[in-house]
Amino acid sequence: MSLIIDKQTLDDLNIFGKRDNDAVYAIFNRTYTRGGAGILEQFFRYPLADLHAIDARIRTIRFFLMHQTAFPFRGELFDAAESYLADTDERSRLSAQDNTLGRKFSQVIGADTSYQQLIKGIGSLIEVFILLKQFINSLDITVQDTPYAAAIKPIQEILLQRQFEPVLQEKVPIKIDYEKATVYDRLLRFVHITDVRKILDAVYTLDVYISVATVARSRGFVFPVPLPAEAHIMEIEGLYHPKLSKPVANDMAMRPDSNIVFLTGANMAGKSTFMKSLGIAVFLAHVGFPVPASRMRFSVCDGLLTTINLPDNLNMGYSHFYTEVLRVKKMAMELEHAKNLFIIFDELFRGTNVKDAYEATVAITSAFASQPNCMFVVSTHIMEAGEKLMEDCKNIQFVYLPTLMEGDKPVYPHKLEQGITSDRHGMVIINNEGILDILRNGKF
Amino acid sequence: MSFLIDKQTTEDLNLLGKFKPNAVFGMFNKVKTAGGERLLENWFRHPLTDADAINQRSAMFRQFGELGIDFPVSGASIEMMENYLNSGAPGNRFAAPLTVMGKRVAFTLGLNKDFRQFQASFHETIEVLNKLRSCFNGMADKHRDLLKGDLEDACKTLNLPELKWLKEEAGRKDLPLTSLIRYDNILRFHLREKMDQVLQAVSLLDGAIAVAHTAKERGFVYAHALPQEANCIRIDDCRHPGIKKAIGNSVTISHENNVIFLTGANMAGKSTFMKSFAIAVFLAHMGFPVAARSMEFSVRDGIYTSINVPDDLEQGFSHFYAEVRRVKMVAETVSSGKYMLVIFDELFKGTNVKDAFDATLSVTEAFAAYRKCSFIISTHIIEVASALDERCDNLQFVYLPTIMDGQVPKYTYRLQSGVTEDRHGMMIIENERIIDIIRKKKALTPQHIQ
Repeated sequence: MSLIIDKQTLDDLNIFGKRDNDAVYAIFNRTYTRGGAGILEQFFRYPLADLHAIDARIRTIRFFLMHQTAFPFRGELFDAAESYLADTDERSRLSAQDNTLGRKFSQVIGADTSYQQLIKGIGSLIEVFILLKQFINSLDITVQDTPYAAAIKPIQEILLQRQFEPVLQEKVPIKIDYEKATVYDRLLRFVHITDVRKILDAVYTLDVYISVATVARSRGFVFPVPLPAEAHIMEIEGLYHPKLSKPVANDMAMRPDSNIVFLTGANMAGKSTFMKSLGIAVFLAHVGFPVPASRMRFSVCDGLLTTINLPDNLNMGYSHFYTEVLRVKKMAMELEHAKNLFIIFDELFRGTNVKDAYEATVAITSAFASQPNCMFVVSTHIMEAGEKLMEDCKNIQFVYLPTLMEGDKPVYPHKLEQGITSDRHGMVIINNEGILDILRNGKF
Repeated sequence: MSFLIDKQTTEDLNLLGKFKPNAVFGMFNKVKTAGGERLLENWFRHPLTDADAINQRSAMFRQFGELGIDFPVSGASIEMMENYLNSGAPGNRFAAPLTVMGKRVAFTLGLNKDFRQFQASFHETIEVLNKLRSCFNGMADKHRDLLKGDLEDACKTLNLPELKWLKEEAGRKDLPLTSLIRYDNILRFHLREKMDQVLQAVSLLDGAIAVAHTAKERGFVYAHALPQEANCIRIDDCRHPGIKKAIGNSVTISHENNVIFLTGANMAGKSTFMKSFAIAVFLAHMGFPVAARSMEFSVRDGIYTSINVPDDLEQGFSHFYAEVRRVKMVAETVSSGKYMLVIFDELFKGTNVKDAFDATLSVTEAFAAYRKCSFIISTHIIEVASALDERCDNLQFVYLPTIMDGQVPKYTYRLQSGVTEDRHGMMIIENERIIDIIRKKKALTPQHIQ
């Protein structure tokens, strides 16, 4: 079972990104092997929604972090091995009958490149086997307490199988003659290909664990503590946006009696950034990865849906308001099917007139507030809606991002405070740009 | 001086772009030749700012429409002729016959087929030139005053005595080598520059016929341009050119009433109306036909619209700040004393209500003082209207109504004067039954409510 998430959410949080370097994926993509990058992408595409699976992954990565394990292989071994294994054509198989004088001659003059490729592939693969065995044997005894012990068990068993014995007795650097090569080729590439694949996948997964552990150490991320879904708790301390160079950290706690967060703040005060950091932390926690915060405990959710940069769908003739309405409807339908949703909605109903936006915000927020199993974070410009909700609902917490004025210049501390703000600095921005002065002093 | 327009505006109005669906350019792009397409693109890139030039061009299109001719040759034939005329460009007139003869010899020896190709394109060229001559002569008979400038020159060229053989040799596929060399010399060297003029006239013919066809097919009319000082835009039954069965609205913006203040519920058609108006003004400045019953306008220096301003989050601009920057850019142009058409859709929608109210009021008031410019401003904040009405006397208040048919809102898309109070946002939410869907969950899982 995986977490319910959609493209809008992945785009909002910039998980994969349009360009490679500014995405969340890019932060963690420190893998040595291409296969590892593929597995990492799988992890990101399918976040988990199961407490045990999340817990297992967190404990595994923490094990590698604690022992500061280094990845024991060179990345280029796998390029050679993969291109070797990719050729599954029986006709390319080395056979003992082909060991002719002509072949030896062309080998001497270096003309037989395809043979050299095969030898290189076989050699790389054997080296992977040997290094993996050494690595497993060298693992700290405390691995027995982690789920990684169970995950690596089948791999250990494969390595103990009789047919791989001669392979493991080779010495690095690998030197094999033609007769041996024909035997290994048949063994590795044809007869036991499924086992070989399992071993490579295990190495790639190991690559991901180790690289995530390295990222966690170098960037100071912490491991979240997963809790059962029924607890309905989301507590994060020192939360920040991983892509900012000097981020301001914020604390946030949502419990069954405060499962709705109503966020206000002036333009540019950092509402969207805060919501994105929150979304990213919740997302990473469900991948079982370390998060950019100083402490985090969370109830496992069934889905994460955000609406931060909703594009209009004018091609289909939808106004911005109607696009928003359809988005809320989609979330409502998900809520009907899934049990626990984490929902983030930035600038709810900004595409309509004030009175409508006020009524709609109150109606939708109080409807979500009546659902104790859903966590809902909403930001709006319409602070009057906050006052009304404060009277009507008990489980809403009100927070705001303040703006301080230093003379004419607005300053944004980016630090959450309790309450509803009435900060308005739109006119200040307009005056700072000097628009009215330009118009007053122009040529009429 | 060139017409002021920027990327934001061309994108708002969906003007350019050959491959974009529903782009205005594509609507007129019914040309046959590459030269015609280049000319059309050039017209779109450089609208005119002189009333006489505009009226002259629209008169030309209209006359082509009245003439009702089709482009006489196919695009492929024109391309072949162009290739032929440009082939062997660096050679001189004395070397050319030798090259032709060389090709002939090589062909006889079976070495290559260049000669056959050369012969084919030469014959095609003769045919094209003959067709063009009869087309131009036909125009001269029916519409003497249409033949001006490039068209007239081309017509004269084609009737030159040096080209008399064109008619005589028409339809022949096997000219003797000697005639071939002689004619080739005339077309590619002796009359080379005149031939280029003919090609230009062909592009013009192609472009003008395409525009006239579009006008006829879609029932567009030609606008009448007035000098800048008249300061007036009057459009009767202005429609969106890309919408079938579009509903027209009549608008006049003049010196006395230079600001249109537009209100209306969501989906009532505010943006569409603004786009239709701006597209009509833009097309009129090219001398092109517009989607209306009639139109007259004084020439503008440019158009700026802000209909879909995207937030520039990569630069760290919030939506509000992006709007502020855009307004500032427009303010700088307006205050330099130009005659502009300015359109703001949903001014300051990216901020809270009170800010939006203050900002819309003060900015609209400041803009309205520029009587040389015409403005259309739409907003959700209907309260601004009464405040503006007290302060300025040059605003027209119009709205697009919504009529409730039971629970379902219906839109007439017809402008009415005044300010609307229509609000149907909650109605839309109720129609989608969102609140019910969310609340229904409660009944399903009673164990959560303790």
